[in-house]
Amino acid sequence: MELDSLKYVWRTLEAAPASESGPDEIHALLQRRSGGIVTRMRRNLTGELILIAATYTPAILFYFLDFEGRLSGIAWLFILLLTMLAVYFYRKNQLLKAMQCTGCSLYSNLRQQITTLKIYIKFYVWSGTIMIPVMFILSWLIIRWKFPAAPGADLFYQLSGTPWWQHPLIWAVFLIPVTVGIYFVNLWYVHRLYGRHIRKLQDLLQEMEEE
Amino acid sequence: MKLVQEHRFLLYKVCRLYCFTEADRQDLFQEIVIQLWKSYPGFRGDSKFSTWLYRIALNTAISDLRKQGRRPSTTSTSEIPPSLPDMTWPGEEEQQLQQLYAAIARLSDVEKALVMLYLEDKPYEEMEEIMGINQNNLRVKMNRIREKLRKMTKEAAYGIR
Repeated sequence: MELDSLKYVWRTLEAAPASESGPDEIHALLQRRSGGIVTRMRRNLTGELILIAATYTPAILFYFLDFEGRLSGIAWLFILLLTMLAVYFYRKNQLLKAMQCTGCSLYSNLRQQITTLKIYIKFYVWSGTIMIPVMFILSWLIIRWKFPAAPGADLFYQLSGTPWWQHPLIWAVFLIPVTVGIYFVNLWYVHRLYGRHIRKLQDLLQEMEEE
Repeated sequence: MKLVQEHRFLLYKVCRLYCFTEADRQDLFQEIVIQLWKSYPGFRGDSKFSTWLYRIALNTAISDLRKQGRRPSTTSTSEIPPSLPDMTWPGEEEQQLQQLYAAIARLSDVEKALVMLYLEDKPYEEMEEIMGINQNNLRVKMNRIREKLRKMTKEAAYGIR
């Protein structure tokens, strides 16, 4: 097969489908949802954001309005968490926005996707890992601050009864293995989600770089 | 919309090269149209419109993961059909084109893009702009692809796998 001899055939025979796309059909295509990987990731992120807002907002309002405002501190802690999550979502969204440059050359686009996806994965893993001890400590603070110690109750109450200087040690013994475990679970999960895609992109880039 | 209409055949060709079923082709065509629509405000005319269009179409086709499960692997040639069943072009030239598509199906995604640009008679300067690979490297790659296609045709003719 000689490619040069096929140029004419290629250019004259149009590979048109049975039904051609008219302006109306193209317009209809634009109304549909995009199935691209980055668009889907951004859609999922928006979904997560809506879910978080829908969960936190009633809880915040509840603690502000109920108990005659005596537990408003809990509402403020929820607001603090929500602010941290907002930063998390903003950063993820920025990374997703920067992930694709379809108007760039194939090589630049691949490089950009790989670099941004790696940063995204790192951010995903670390923020997911750090969030766990932060949530534990904040929950403990809420309980210690608002509820009196009850001997023989769960870990939070037991901690309230011990001298303050033992707390960091107890937290370290409990949280370090949990955090390390969560880190590896996150790592496994994120590679399950994006591992194949990133490998495919890396293979393509390597192929383009080969002389 | 007018520009998409004008260049739709080019988009169909990209879809034919990268997808093996009609449903996948339609999905890819839709995705390319959406990407063109989204990216058009950023087109500043630094390059030719066709260069920009090829970039969008090929970037969308290559870096989209959705069809992975349904795409035959480029390394496993045993899964590739000898010709694409729903292409009904009669005549000798058409048969040649069918063979070409069947052979291209066994190339990698990057090689497919290069073959397409070559068949479209794009000069190496423009190919460099689209692919982001320097011209010397492009020439080397094109020679390898030509050799690969020749070998594939021989294999098909003599029934060698």
